[in-house]
Amino acid sequence: MSKEVVLDCLGEACPIPLVKSEKALEKMEVGDILIVQIDHSCAMKNVPEWARKQGHEVELEEIDDGEWECIIEKMK
Amino acid sequence: MPREKKIEEYDVVIIGGGASGLTAGIYCGRARLKTIVIEQALVGGIATNTNEIENYPGFPEGTTGTGLMKLFHQQAKKFGVKFKLTNVKTVDFTGDIKIVETFRNRYKAKAVIICNGSKPRLTGAENEEKYVGKGIAFCATCDAAACTDEEVLVIGSGDAAIEEGMFLTKFASKVKVSIIHDEGIMDCNEVAKSAALANPKMEFLHNTVVERFEGEDELTTVVLKNLKTGELTSIDCFTCFLFIGYIPNTSIYEDKVNMTKSGYVITSENMETSVPGVFAAGDVRDKFLRQVATCVGDAATAGVMAEKYIAETEIFENIIMKGDGIAYIFDASKADHRKFLEEIEELEKEYDEYCCHRVDTYKSRGLAQRLCKTGHCPSVIIIKNGKVVKVISEETLSKNEIEKNL
Repeated sequence: MSKEVVLDCLGEACPIPLVKSEKALEKMEVGDILIVQIDHSCAMKNVPEWARKQGHEVELEEIDDGEWECIIEKMK
Repeated sequence: MPREKKIEEYDVVIIGGGASGLTAGIYCGRARLKTIVIEQALVGGIATNTNEIENYPGFPEGTTGTGLMKLFHQQAKKFGVKFKLTNVKTVDFTGDIKIVETFRNRYKAKAVIICNGSKPRLTGAENEEKYVGKGIAFCATCDAAACTDEEVLVIGSGDAAIEEGMFLTKFASKVKVSIIHDEGIMDCNEVAKSAALANPKMEFLHNTVVERFEGEDELTTVVLKNLKTGELTSIDCFTCFLFIGYIPNTSIYEDKVNMTKSGYVITSENMETSVPGVFAAGDVRDKFLRQVATCVGDAATAGVMAEKYIAETEIFENIIMKGDGIAYIFDASKADHRKFLEEIEELEKEYDEYCCHRVDTYKSRGLAQRLCKTGHCPSVIIIKNGKVVKVISEETLSKNEIEKNL
């Protein structure tokens, strides 16, 4: 059964969200979902870009004004 | 087992969040349609590649691509448009309800607007990505004025490359053109070719391709490689314009809507694709000029057409095709068509078991076409038990003939 992990990176500036995401995803299985909560505009760009480049499925959603969730499905 | 997708229902799903998608969003949102824009990367699209936008009306001081798109985005959000930043995986346009799937969601929509845009073809040379928007440009109309009295380099020899190159000579002090072919060969039309050869500001570097791009933060130098000799030449330039074609982002629509050979979506002037309820706007369309201003025009039309389509579907399914009825298809701008309305009125009184519908094609032809494929006007359509049983066209149209068929 695949699981969902929520990673709270609110209030954290680059490159912390990216580093945290990398570490979290490492421990997860293929098919698992990582939800990274971010509110720094640079993380909003580099987290999805990194995940896409790694070949994962990515979705970015604005939850509140300036608050985003980057949803990553581990593909490999 | 694949994860179950979350189903969400919308009036309109807009695919692509560039100038067209955002404008379509503004129009649909303002029409109070439940609307979502799905963008694969960041909102703003290809306009954000352009640093200066000097010819978009309303900004006499000029604006930036990113700045302008931010305003479009804000305006769409103001009208309640939802945004989802992810890739569209597949679409299914075969049913009345259109399906758009992302990796987590299945969106059901009454109408879809395709605004995927197109992307300029890149050379694939070293460091290219680094300088896109920072010295590598794709649009002379947009960036020529910024090159006044500077030397520029153009890559390509097609119509766009040579014609835009000539346009650039009005501003730049020198326009060098890198051409992959042998001396004397260009891909453009002959008229452009001879005009270009006669232009003293233009210089042609045959048998060359880009090896790499160089510069500190901004591009300063392009290294060209001679295909015959292998020799590398450094060309200093203020801006390097790539005109080696565009690629429309339409692979997911293959065999789903009609497209040109090069993959652009074919639409009517009202932005209708070959599939009813699916519209297309902006750079993704087969058209002449690709600018923010033309995207805005396309998308306004597409947004209004989508709204009309949805409203007409509702009338058609929930009112006209319920039970028995008489539909008079006419053009309200024509006196004789208006005159026949009196007969319809009488019929309405005499046959109160029939519901009478007056379908004015002057406002829109959509409903008329749904009732009768040929869209004859004027004509009367007789509906029994929710089915069209008779079409009486102009030649035989009379109150008598209608009564015979009731």
